[in-house]
Amino acid sequence: MPVYQIRGQAIPVPEQAPPPQEGPDYEARLAEFEARIARGEKIEPTDWMPEEYRRQLIRMISQHAHSEIVGMLPEGGWIPHAPSLRRKLILIAKVQDEGGHGQLLYRAAETLGPSREEMIEALLAGRAKYSVVFNYPAVTWADVAAIGLLIDGAAVVNQLMLAQGSYGPYARAMRRICYEESFHIKQGYDAFVALATGTPAQRQMIQEAVNRWWYPALMLFGPPDRDSVHTPTLLRWRIKTKTNDELRQEFVDQYAPMVLRLGLTIPDPNLRYDPETGHWRFSEPDWEEFWRVIRGDGPCNVERLAARRRAHEEGRWVREALAAKAARATEGNGNGRHPMAGL
Amino acid sequence: MADTQWPVYEVFLQEKRGDPHVHVGAVHAPDPEMALLLAKEQFARRGRCVSLWVVPAEAIHSTRAEEAEALFASALEKDYREPKGFRVAERVRRWMESHGQSLPEV
Amino acid sequence: MANPSRKSEAREALPDPLREALGAFLTALADDEVLLGHRDSEWVGHAPILEADIAMASIAQDEIGHAVLWYTLLQELGWPDPDRMAYFRDPPEFRNATLVELPRGDWAFTVVRQFLFDYAEKVRLEALMASAYPPLAEAATKVRREETYHLMHSRAWVLRLGDATEESHRRMQAALDLAWPHALGLFEPLPQQALLVEAGVKPPEAELQSRWEAEVRPVLEAATLRVPTGAPVYGGRVGRHTAHLSDLLADFQKVARSGLGETW
Repeated sequence: MPVYQIRGQAIPVPEQAPPPQEGPDYEARLAEFEARIARGEKIEPTDWMPEEYRRQLIRMISQHAHSEIVGMLPEGGWIPHAPSLRRKLILIAKVQDEGGHGQLLYRAAETLGPSREEMIEALLAGRAKYSVVFNYPAVTWADVAAIGLLIDGAAVVNQLMLAQGSYGPYARAMRRICYEESFHIKQGYDAFVALATGTPAQRQMIQEAVNRWWYPALMLFGPPDRDSVHTPTLLRWRIKTKTNDELRQEFVDQYAPMVLRLGLTIPDPNLRYDPETGHWRFSEPDWEEFWRVIRGDGPCNVERLAARRRAHEEGRWVREALAAKAARATEGNGNGRHPMAGL
Repeated sequence: MADTQWPVYEVFLQEKRGDPHVHVGAVHAPDPEMALLLAKEQFARRGRCVSLWVVPAEAIHSTRAEEAEALFASALEKDYREPKGFRVAERVRRWMESHGQSLPEV
Repeated sequence: MANPSRKSEAREALPDPLREALGAFLTALADDEVLLGHRDSEWVGHAPILEADIAMASIAQDEIGHAVLWYTLLQELGWPDPDRMAYFRDPPEFRNATLVELPRGDWAFTVVRQFLFDYAEKVRLEALMASAYPPLAEAATKVRREETYHLMHSRAWVLRLGDATEESHRRMQAALDLAWPHALGLFEPLPQQALLVEAGVKPPEAELQSRWEAEVRPVLEAATLRVPTGAPVYGGRVGRHTAHLSDLLADFQKVARSGLGETW
């Protein structure tokens, strides 16, 4: 069992499911912990928590962080080709935010034990998961618009829920992330509408992109409730406050009309508004494909990880150099600072 | 060789002059100056900021959660230290009424 | 610049040859920035560490933002709009120094190029703040403020990587050897320079270059880097570029020139 240092305290973090914690002391602490959550209070890093709570959070937050980092790639690939200076600026800012979100999330996960080194190492070694949607290719410029509307839209539905979660550092990160994501959807919708109201060729581009991204957007919420092994635990401890299927429904209700209103279609023959329930009915994504892509057999899994590995390896000398320099400065003359004079 | 993501610096941001510096997150950085430079873009690229502090995370010491209950809750009445512990206005009003005292003309 | 009457005043007060010269100068400024911003943005998602990725993305945005500002001044002088300028010209029409068109390279090259460029921009902006052409002076004042961060950032990187490890030193020296002659090209005088100097629009490039060298040489020296002695690479300011510019523009203009739409 590896031991990680947090703020001077050694906190053991199990890699597998922990040995059952039991006994009267455990029961009492668990009751106190659950009562705190029931009162709507947040759990903070130094609080006692069941190992399973810690484990689930590390799993979720690190996957979320990985998704942001890998998620920079499909859209980032279009930064060089952005068709106007304004779109180029917007897209750089947006992909930058995704990096920023990854940064915040890795830090939130670090408060639970694992270091960023370890999490990134797990990602690069193919041991960690990230959202399946980023293993689909962004084929044309219109994919940037479709991702901006549909994938970011789905992400916001998910993240607004996570911002209500019980773990303080995660919820705090989520609040800032949701704020920035609202810019992402705006820009996505803006780019989307520009194409949908553009030339016939542009309309065709955006229609094809919708066809590509509709089901991945639905997959973003994870497997159906009936197959989601984690959901009951996550709900009980308010790591999540809604189920995958509830969130998926919310997304379709909100975003399907936005697409249809522009005279575009959604590649689902069963999609229709049900006035009785006030919700849209829709077809589920192909779950077999979902599991296949999760297992590493998606259109871009290899390419995405290779890009991350290459960046990591090519940057290693930089990280090592500055670490070495800082270490020397600390040994030598005090605090290792360079004067910022003369500016 | 093990990777390095550099040490962690906690970041505190002051939105406007006169405000307190508030903890907003952390950056990984090789040294304090780089921590400031990198924190600026991670935490102050939007919104207001007039000052940033960075502090090595290992320099922060925290009370233990298990002791919090005992440490921060006072069992005994200590109202006398709070403004709400005083009810002077009521006594002044009663005295004024019983002595026929009214407010001086402004 | 929001004031249309002042805009047209500034514009109409200019005799044609000076207007042409000013246009060529603004084109050079804008082209430098937009292409450097493009090269910097190639790091987004690929930088050595997350925090550096985020900072570089900001710098890329700043450079492109400055380009938009210069292109807008140009538009006020009667040139096409910023997107037209950036997306619908061919390599020989670009007036950027060759420094900014060179491929992204490794992090050392990026740091060195950015450092050399930031200080060139600093001395240029400080001179332009006193320009006799008011819109230029105003814009320079604005941009100079944003440059403060760039200077701190690129200087900090140069000072660290220059002598951190053997490898970092080797890479930084190689980067400087490659970048320096092209950086001197930032000060290639425009054919119309005399006119601009005479009108008080800007000082001669040679003057800016010596101010620039006085700033960058001590930092490079502190970083244990040796300044190469090669001749400057000129040509950029008259539209003679390396093959890298064609590659860059093929990437840059691909969608805008696809013919599939007018607005995006």
